[in-house]
Parts: sequence; C-alpha cells; structure tokens
Amino acid sequence: MAGTDRALMAHLLRRSGFGATFQELDRYCELGYEAAVEEILHPEQQPGIEEDVLERYFVDWKESRNIEAAMTEFVYRMNVYAGSRPLQEKIALFWHGVFATGLAKVLHEKTLLNQIDMFREGGLNNFRDLLLGLAKDPAMIFWLDNNFNHKGAPNENWGRELLELFSMGVGMDGKENYTEEDVKEAARAFTGWTIDDDNVTSLPFGKIPWLFRYVPEDHDDDEKTFQGETGNFNGEDIIDIIVKQPATARFISRHLYNFFVADEPQVPSWQHTPPGNPELIKILEHEYFSSNYNIRSMLRVLFNSDHFKSQEARFAKVKSPAEVVVGTLHLLGDFKFPKRTIFETALGCRYMGQDLLNPPSVEGWHTGEEWIDSGSLVERVNFVADQVGNINQPGVRAMVDALLSQATELDPLSIIGGCLEMMGHVQLHEKNKEHLAAQIRTMLDQHSAFVAGSPEDIESAEKTILHTMKMIGSTREYQFA
Amino acid sequence: MTTETANPISTNGLYQYESVIGLLSPAGPGFSGPVSVTVGPDGMLYVACRANPNQQEGVRVSRCTRDGDFLDQFGTWGEEPGEFIWITDIAFNQAGEVYVADENSHRISIFDTERNYSRRIGEQGNGPGQFDRPSGLAFGPSGNLYVVDTLNHRVQVLTTDGEYITEWGSLGDAEGQFHMPWGITIDQTGDVYITDWRNDRVQKFNSDGHFLMTFGVSGDGEGQFNRPNGITVDSAGDIYVCDWMNDRVQVFNSQAEFKDLLIGHCGMSKWARTFLDASPDIEAKLELASQNIEIKRRFYRPVSVHVEDDGKVYVADCYRHRVQIYQKLIA
Repeated sequence: MAGTDRALMAHLLRRSGFGATFQELDRYCELGYEAAVEEILHPEQQPGIEEDVLERYFVDWKESRNIEAAMTEFVYRMNVYAGSRPLQEKIALFWHGVFATGLAKVLHEKTLLNQIDMFREGGLNNFRDLLLGLAKDPAMIFWLDNNFNHKGAPNENWGRELLELFSMGVGMDGKENYTEEDVKEAARAFTGWTIDDDNVTSLPFGKIPWLFRYVPEDHDDDEKTFQGETGNFNGEDIIDIIVKQPATARFISRHLYNFFVADEPQVPSWQHTPPGNPELIKILEHEYFSSNYNIRSMLRVLFNSDHFKSQEARFAKVKSPAEVVVGTLHLLGDFKFPKRTIFETALGCRYMGQDLLNPPSVEGWHTGEEWIDSGSLVERVNFVADQVGNINQPGVRAMVDALLSQATELDPLSIIGGCLEMMGHVQLHEKNKEHLAAQIRTMLDQHSAFVAGSPEDIESAEKTILHTMKMIGSTREYQFA
Repeated sequence: MTTETANPISTNGLYQYESVIGLLSPAGPGFSGPVSVTVGPDGMLYVACRANPNQQEGVRVSRCTRDGDFLDQFGTWGEEPGEFIWITDIAFNQAGEVYVADENSHRISIFDTERNYSRRIGEQGNGPGQFDRPSGLAFGPSGNLYVVDTLNHRVQVLTTDGEYITEWGSLGDAEGQFHMPWGITIDQTGDVYITDWRNDRVQKFNSDGHFLMTFGVSGDGEGQFNRPNGITVDSAGDIYVCDWMNDRVQVFNSQAEFKDLLIGHCGMSKWARTFLDASPDIEAKLELASQNIEIKRRFYRPVSVHVEDDGKVYVADCYRHRVQIYQKLIA
C-alpha cells in the first residue's frame, strides 16, 4: 500500500481504536481500507480474551472492591483488546463518556463494570436497545435515583437526564427539544423500574452485582402525554418515542462526530452552536433512520466519508487520557498477560485527568482542549517517556531491533523517520522534525549512529533511538489522534 | 441469606453442609480472597488470603480455630524477605514450618513454628530450583517439597531447604505434560495428584513422577471440569477437586469414578452475625433482596479444599471470602 494510504490506515486505527503497531499496520494495509473498516466494525468476529487467565491472576476482579481495581480492569481490557477488537473498547469508552455513571455515588464497582460490558456487547448495535438496556441498568438506576421514583411520588432525575444528556439534548438549531412537562411525564413512565438489592457495602461476604427489578404495583399506569403523543406509557414506550425524534438523530450524530472525527464545542452549547461539519452530520442523521438506529451503520458511513479520510481530520483531535495510556501500552506490547504492575500503570489515566468510572458529573468529561492543562500535559509527556524509554518492554525492544536491522548506519533524519513509523506512523510537522533532528545531532556530536559496528556503537544507537521515541511522545502530533 | 437451606446436603447425599467461617475483612476476624485452606500441626485452621492489590493489608495468612474463633495472622504485603504479594498456597513440612508460595516474587517463603519468617527459596527462571509463578505446594511422606511451577508447566521436587531433586512435565496435553497446572496433593502412599488447569483434567503420578492415570475433560457434566485447581485426597482415598469455573467441588473415588457434588450451602457465620447485629440496616436490605438468595449461598470460584480425618471438608470459597464446611456422612 502506498505511503499516503498507510497514513490513512494509521489515522483510521487511531480513531477507531488506540493506534496500531507497525506490524498491525502492515496487516491492515494488506487488507485495504474498506475491508479494514468492515473488520473493525465487527469486533465480535475476532478472538476473545482469555478470561480464565485473567481471573486466575487478578482474583479480586470478579467483584473489584474499589475504584482503582475497577479502573485497572477497564484499562487492562482496553489494552488487551486494542489489537484484536479495538472498536469494541473504543465504543465502550465512547458510551461511558456519554452515559457517564460514577462510582463516587454508585459505590458498587462490579455493577458499574457490568454497564461497561453492556456497552462492549451492544454499543455498536441498535440505539433503542442500548437505551432500553441503560434504563434497566442497575448502576444507572442507582446513579440517577430511579430506585426512588415511585408511583405518586416521582423522582425526575433519570427522566431529565435521559432526555437532556442521553438521547435528545436540550435543543438544536436554536430551539428546545422537549418541555418540562415531557420530563415529568417521562419520569412517571419509569416509576417501578428499580433494583433488587442496593446493599452498597461489601459485607458480609463481598459485593454481589445488583439486578434490575420491575415492580408493577409501584408503576404509574395512568395516561401520559410525551412529545405530543398520549397513552398509558411505560418506560419502553417513552424510549420508542425518543428514538424516532430528529433531535435524537442529531444528538447521536454529533456525539459520534465529536468522538471519532473532530473536537466539537462542549455538549451544553449544542442548542445554539451548529455542528462543525453540518453536511456530514446530515448524512449520519439520515443513516440513523435508514438503518433503524444502528450505530455500526452510522460508523461505517462515518469512517468511509471523505471528510473523515481527509488530511484536515488527521492529528486534529486531542487524545483523551485513556487513549494516551492504552495507545502507549498497546504500542509496547506490555500487559497482554496479567502482571501486577498494571495497577500502578493504569492510574496514569487519573493523573492525566480522566478518572475512569468516576466522571466529574453526569455530563461526563469535557473533551478536546480541556484535556490539557499544565499539570496534565506534564503527566501525559512523562507517562509516554517512561514507557517508550524502557528497552525492557517487549514492544520497545521489537521497535529498536526492527530499526537496527534496517540499516547499517542511521543519520538523525532516518532515526526520526524510523521511530515515527514504529510508533504508529506518526506524521510530524516539518518544523517539529527539524527540532528533533537538531537534538539528535547534539546527542551524536554531529555523527551518525553506527549500528553495524562495535557493541558500544549499537548501545549508542539504541540510546539514541530511545531518546528519539521519548521526544516523539512529547510532540503535539503524538498527543493528538 | 440469614435463613439456612432446609436440607443442605450434597447432590448425592454423601455430605452435609455444616457451617461457614468468614466475613470480608482486610484484617482480624475475616478473610479477603482466600486461596488456600489447610489445618496445621497445631490443629488450627490456616487460611491464606490473596486480597486486593489496592488493599495491601489484606494479604496475609489467618489462623483460627476449626469452629471459627480468630486467633492471629502473619505475613505482610511486599517483596522483602517475609513478605508476599500474590500468595497462592501454603503447606506444612514435617517439622511444622509453614511454606508460602508467592507468584509475584516467584519465591517460597518459610515461616517457623511460631510463624516468624525463617528463609525463602527460589527465584524467577526456568532452571532447577527456579520458578515462574509457583502455585500449589505439598509435602510427600519422605518429607520432600513438591512445587507446581505453573508457567514452566512442570512439577519440581525439592528438599525442605530448596535443593533441587527432580522435576517432570512440559507444556502440552499428552500424558505427563501440563498447561498451566495449579493444584497439588499427595496421598498417604506418596502418589501425587496435579490439577492440570488449562487441560481441564487431573493427572496422577507416583512420587518419582511416573504417570499413573488421568481423569476429566472439559465441560460442566459429572467428571468434567472447567479449570480445576484445589485438590485433596481423604483417608478413604476419595479425591476432592475444586472445579473452579463451574463453581463446585467434585468428589471421586480412588478409581476416579464420580461420587458426589458440593455446590455451596452457605448460611451465616459467627463473624458475619456479629457484624449484622451491629448493622441492622444492612441486614434489612439483605433480607429484602429476593432474586439472588441462592446465588449468595453457592460457591463462587472455590480455590482450595482440605479434608480432615474426621470427615470435615473445608472449602475456600474465594470470591465470597469464606470457608464453607461440610461433613462426610458415609465413609
């Protein structure tokens, strides 16, 4: 595949997953772009994780009794699947950001991890089914107080967020999408949707995941009017009405665009701020309805669109902390087999500002440039440098060996070019490349790194390559997707 | 959960559920991810807890009476001498010293009869006396230590001080080969039983490692396994196997014919009773839960099983932080 196409494939893998190793890029390029998109869109056809081995070594993960263990499990699975089922993990991360549910209140790690599993399994399928699953999800019920939503004494928290943050959005094109009355009626329709066992303690014998329970006698079965339709609606009817609204098509299309294509303004401003690319949003809205609300179909259209494939879209999106951590670990080939040190490593997401499974609010994380501040930038750069600078990492060793085997003598520009390729076909701005080359020349004292000479030469070349990779990790391009 | 099952007997009626010892706790009365249970030379119950990597204080070996009175605990989280992180098994030698396997440091730590740290053996590697994630431990009648060396897919035989004697096994599924073996037990005649974890079978050898027999295939029927781990043999020759991912313990006769099935019948432990008496609000919530009462009674990833001469069967019910106890009814 031509160089430009390899760059496009790398772009696809950064957005639909967490980036690709140079070996994976070779394989995807062999497949061709459209076939690669199809493979990525069907993660369920790729081999699964070795759950028995995972459980054997991480014996506490079946219940994950604290947030750090739960976050680690989330990161570990994303990393293990980054090569084989990248979109399964990316879509789980996407929905976790949209349907943000947090352990700060839920306090039941396994129950929340079950919600993430629901996103893994159904996140690419029918949006109506996903929304219904969310309405019955015990973590969500507890998070938004639907266990306190009773017949005659409704609690509107879930009903409100369902409309505002999970499906329609407050408004679009300057108009409001629903009324206060719609919120109240939706809440009434979900009375009696509760959980069976809301014991948040792990005592006496550990935490047991909560289960959904429908209590008919606590359900308000009287007539309701919602979005102009009237009937004795239950929650399922409300969801049926929601998914057929143009506002829902717009809201989901904008979210997909924001996550997979380019940073949009933050969600609360969407009522009055038009989409960055209205044409592509229109196409996605159309696909939403014509595919019967199928997320996989929408992503197929998105990944194959000219705009997604354009130069303009590349390296134009700030990586989330999870993307930095998982993308870097995947590059290194580390933690594919259970190792205890994953617990310290996974916490990198937190230090960079994304406390997975514990979003700052039901609105989720603000994305784009808001991921970056002086503190989080240092964390991001240091994390990558620590990882790619470690020659004992199998992936680093493989990259260094591959580079050393390519030539008997490496000048600064060929070292940079080789490292960029090894790190997932990163494309540096020419000015940044010149800065790096100047640094390397200083290191080499104006000489090339001889790789076919003495052991000292090879050691010096390895050192130079590691230093180059660390510097690439600190560039804007690596920190962007 | 607080109501005992009406007739808590095993599937074929050969065992009766008797009681439970347990409560999730990172210290003192309670366990945290128990992975090994045995009775020491002092007649007390020893339970090794793997705990949670983010609750390091929970990694320990607890000692209590066989009817559930907490006595003390030893060991701490770490990589220094006398510490362990990923504890897998404990076993006593003839002198009463307790050996603790740690698959994080790839070593076995030895504590004296007063449970003070004495020495440790092994290091990471695949040579003689080296380990790659050691798991099951057992002592033979001659006093030698048998170590299941999981990621080297072998069994090593060592002296009590760690000097290499012999080994057998390699990666594979032929007779005498293993795929990530885990549990081990040695019967009164010195024959060695290994749970060949990823091959879903048990293999039996003589004390020198000569293959004698194998039983079990993948599945969830009688005599089938889904990743077997803990194993023991009682004085009548019956073989008990923790069928880990099937959440049950299977019992076989000495000819490896299926005899009975334990699935867990947990009631209320003394420690849990004390806790709930002080927390009536939690007990009320537990009573309200209607859908998962049965789930709470059952084993959830049983890892280790030990049988005493009086027919009491102790099962480390790992994810429920307890030891369920059955009584063998018929010899």
